[in-house]
Amino acid sequence: MKGNVIKYERDNIDTDVIIPGQYLKVHDYAELALHAMEGLDPDFHSKVKEGDFILSGRNFGCGSSREHAPIALSHSGIKAVLALSFARIFYRNAVDGAFLLPIEIEDDAYSNISEGDEIDIDIHTNEIKNLTKNKTYKMKPFSEIIGKIIESGGLFKYKSD
Amino acid sequence: MGKTLFEKIWDAHIVVENENSPSLIYIDRHLIHEVTSPQAFDGLRMNNRSVRRPDLTIATMDHNVPTNNRTLPILDQTSAVQIHTLEKNCKDFGIQLFDIDSPDQGIVHVIGPQLGITLPGSTIVCGDSHTSTHGAFGALAFGIGTSEVEHVLASQTLWLEKPKPFEIRVKGKRKNPHAVTAKDIVLSIIKNIGTSGGNGTVIEYRGEGIRDLSMEQRMTICNMSIEAGARTGIIAPDEKTFEYLRGRKYTPKNYESLVDYWRDNLKTDSDAKFEKNYTLHIDNIAPQVSWGTNPGMTCDVTESIPFPEDFSKGDQNQKKGAEKALEYMALKPGTPITEIKIDRVFIGSCTNARLEDLIEASKVVKGRKLSPYVRAMVVPGSQMVKKQAEELGLDKIFTDANFEWREAGCSMCLGMNPDILSPGERCASTSNRNFEGRQGTGGRTHLVSPVMAAAAAIEGHFVDVREMDLN
Repeated sequence: MKGNVIKYERDNIDTDVIIPGQYLKVHDYAELALHAMEGLDPDFHSKVKEGDFILSGRNFGCGSSREHAPIALSHSGIKAVLALSFARIFYRNAVDGAFLLPIEIEDDAYSNISEGDEIDIDIHTNEIKNLTKNKTYKMKPFSEIIGKIIESGGLFKYKSD
Repeated sequence: MGKTLFEKIWDAHIVVENENSPSLIYIDRHLIHEVTSPQAFDGLRMNNRSVRRPDLTIATMDHNVPTNNRTLPILDQTSAVQIHTLEKNCKDFGIQLFDIDSPDQGIVHVIGPQLGITLPGSTIVCGDSHTSTHGAFGALAFGIGTSEVEHVLASQTLWLEKPKPFEIRVKGKRKNPHAVTAKDIVLSIIKNIGTSGGNGTVIEYRGEGIRDLSMEQRMTICNMSIEAGARTGIIAPDEKTFEYLRGRKYTPKNYESLVDYWRDNLKTDSDAKFEKNYTLHIDNIAPQVSWGTNPGMTCDVTESIPFPEDFSKGDQNQKKGAEKALEYMALKPGTPITEIKIDRVFIGSCTNARLEDLIEASKVVKGRKLSPYVRAMVVPGSQMVKKQAEELGLDKIFTDANFEWREAGCSMCLGMNPDILSPGERCASTSNRNFEGRQGTGGRTHLVSPVMAAAAAIEGHFVDVREMDLN
């Protein structure tokens, strides 16, 4: 899975900046996507491309249980969020609906990968290749069931297999 | 080796157990509300599924209900649609709903305990992160997302990764328990362990500092576990817990025999092991005020806004976060907290809108007047809290002082109903999150206790409430 990185060099990116509360009434995912990251980065919508990744620090997605958060990112084109750690509900929301991959990384990947770098994520070898900088980093493997849910394309597809 | 309280409840609810992977856990109570449930019901319909246990599912509307006159129609059309959708879903699937006109309507985490639906030793989930509140009763309570809501509706079970037990011991006694509240204890904890300090854990709060708290105060503590990054928080039930739940509307008929069982079983064994430990001494803690854009950015009311380099202790991300927070909050390092002037006051939310919170705040307000520069609203956590408060004359104390006295709901905690801050407005709020834009785009939130919020409303700025007469 290849894509370019949008980097937010901070911890605690919360659900209220990923999708502010006033949009939780929006039922249409395409419209939700227009407001993704609006609370933090009003330019996000104009710069994000299909297949991009977000890179950030600790405790990504902290706060509310709103599934709208991974949905808004996913419908903006984001395929994975790479972070030093995740808040549990965001992590599960991302996986359960197969909206995007929450990938836990180590300090080397976090500090080494820059905004705009092209990276290639392989969830079978648990490696992230930085094609721009020609470097490779390890990612934390998914647990067995989480891996199966991801491969099936979400919680309900996994359950009916 | 002995087990922790959380491990005992976990083990009693395992349907399918997996090592190092999520286990399937049985859910005893499922609380739903209008915002995170509509897609879940859509999913059920699409797949011709029914609700497995409508009798264990309870619904109310709280997040986007207006808190002004209930006899008026809801002006915001998208909110009205969400509310009517919940009504229809509950009717179609046979789920009990406390709707906008019900005397039992309120914030889901306020009404659960109040109605005796929240029980010790049970597993509780809700599509809302502050479900951790119910842990105050010795329940294992998790906030979940909408796909998980659908899964629980369909199966009454949930795949959950087993969290690690984290012991937080609260030692000592507060010298002035009216001025230094449960909110100040939990904000102190988050300030010290950080917003990701609890990641992957269930926090069990223990020690005399917790035992001394009332049930409503314990709910404030457990409510904010999620702000420390924990999956949830829990407190072992005791006689206060059993007394609180006795005789409530939905308290089970065999309650006393349940109490006997809970008394003997719902506690952490003396030889149980916690993965992590932290101790907070509360003898000398001060009232807390948050200054930044996450609940860990908090200090004593007697302190000044910190310099980012001091706050970050060498961590670059923390430093950048603090700089950005101060810019957003329009605050300068070195400014004494007591010199911060406020525009708005919000006393409400699932953290601090219970009867005791309103009683404590009213003591500050009684016989005084709101600062002419401040707009203040009091939003009871449920219609039942509102009624009880009115029976005590609290509404009169607040309205005499020019505070607004409103109907129950989540209100200005989360900026998705008509109660919001305008850009640049600064608010002393008893809610749980001071994230950017949380209370409305550009709004600036300071998290405080109900007593501090009330005092700030009167004075127009934060004050050391220990210096006020609160008895």
